[in-house]
Amino acid sequence: MKIVRESLPDVVFVDLKMPGVSGFEVIEKINLLDPTIVTIVITGYATVNSAVEAMKKGAYDFLPKPFTPEELRLITQRGLEKRRLVQETIALRREKEMLREHFAAIVSHELKSPLGAIQQNLFGLEAELSSKLTESQKTLFERMKCRIADLLKLIHTWLRVILVDIKKIKESFAPVTVTTLISKAVESIQPHATRKEVEILISYEEPLGLVDGDEGTLVAALVNIVSNAVKYSRLGGKVLIKAKQEENSILISVTDTGVGISEEDLPYIFGDFYAGKPGPAAERGSGLGLAITRRIVEAHNGSISVESEVGRGSAFAIRLPALKSSVHNQPSLGAETYSDSH
Amino acid sequence: MSQQKKLLIIDDDPDFVEGLKSILVAAKYSVDAAHNPKDGFQALQSKHYDLLLLDIMMGRGAEGIMLARKLNKDPKLREIPVLIITGIREQIAFLFPGQAVHPHFMPIDELVEKPVEPKLLLDKVSELLQRAQARKAQVK
Repeated sequence: MKIVRESLPDVVFVDLKMPGVSGFEVIEKINLLDPTIVTIVITGYATVNSAVEAMKKGAYDFLPKPFTPEELRLITQRGLEKRRLVQETIALRREKEMLREHFAAIVSHELKSPLGAIQQNLFGLEAELSSKLTESQKTLFERMKCRIADLLKLIHTWLRVILVDIKKIKESFAPVTVTTLISKAVESIQPHATRKEVEILISYEEPLGLVDGDEGTLVAALVNIVSNAVKYSRLGGKVLIKAKQEENSILISVTDTGVGISEEDLPYIFGDFYAGKPGPAAERGSGLGLAITRRIVEAHNGSISVESEVGRGSAFAIRLPALKSSVHNQPSLGAETYSDSH
Repeated sequence: MSQQKKLLIIDDDPDFVEGLKSILVAAKYSVDAAHNPKDGFQALQSKHYDLLLLDIMMGRGAEGIMLARKLNKDPKLREIPVLIITGIREQIAFLFPGQAVHPHFMPIDELVEKPVEPKLLLDKVSELLQRAQARKAQVK
């Protein structure tokens, strides 16, 4: 075993009958050390049973004594070939993973610079023409600038998800009150809600404890959820935010009576790049808001879930661990917290 | 303005530079451009500029930051006001939400995000020029 550990060979021939240790044990240990090492069992008492047993433990093949040099050569070749294939597969899988992670980052950066240059030239052109432009030409400029700005915003959102460093968030954890989080989040969405005549209602079930977390990112997570609720609400709709403590966790729910999410889409909404159908005012998300939100919540050892019905609305529930010392538990009043719309 | 102010842009994206330049030229500034930190540093050493517009993400990383650090070590060049232009404020801001992100590489600097709206650009430029002038008057 020592030699195996030090030299990490491609193929190991194991005799099942060795003084002191069983060959099966050796196979298991090699497998634990590096599952890509190919083990081939050599034994004098070739029975079907021991062969099966060895294969179960992870051996690649079985060679009964006595064997010809030709047989040994063949089995060795096959063993080496097998190891090469396994290693190749692992490398490919790793590469695929890297590509998935970096692709979005590279694309976003590459897209951002030219778009920024286009916008800057547009700004320049408009500044140069400012005294000569007619009203309708100004509108054309506005439209171009607006669409490019939207694109840039979208790219920034992508980059944000990709660059969120969950470990960094954890370094800045401190006790925060849930009411602070909610009021800060609502404050930043209020203008959007007012524009859409959507009413945001907040209700707390006291006492509410503290959570240990990073205020900035938690607020960002809530902003994502609440602004989605507003976005997918109809004109004059209502968004209800509730918070209450349940045993060791704090439950924040955001319920809207908007367009809802179809059943087949529900499993995917927390994944990267899922974008729902446009909201009633043809507003569409970047498809990353919920993915970021999920990552933030999970970084706080919390969980997020959703219930929704097309045409009736959605209810998101964020559960965060409560800080122990904060408040005494009050028995839950049994109120249905996040399924009012169903 | 008593005399035309001279500005230098250091940014590795020539197309972006042209867009920026046209706004500044329209506002009667004299504008030169360098497309890499090395040429930019040479220009700063050989000619007097009233203000520097510096892109911080150039080449293979934050070469603009390195240039700013280099300028900051030079007793003469560190007096030049710098408008730092960045495409990455968003990401920095996300990691430190709610905080004004302003790295302060130089005695007089400001940070704006790419692309820069004409009004904001001109406001920042004239504000920086004024601050530099006030600082000069103080020293004297």
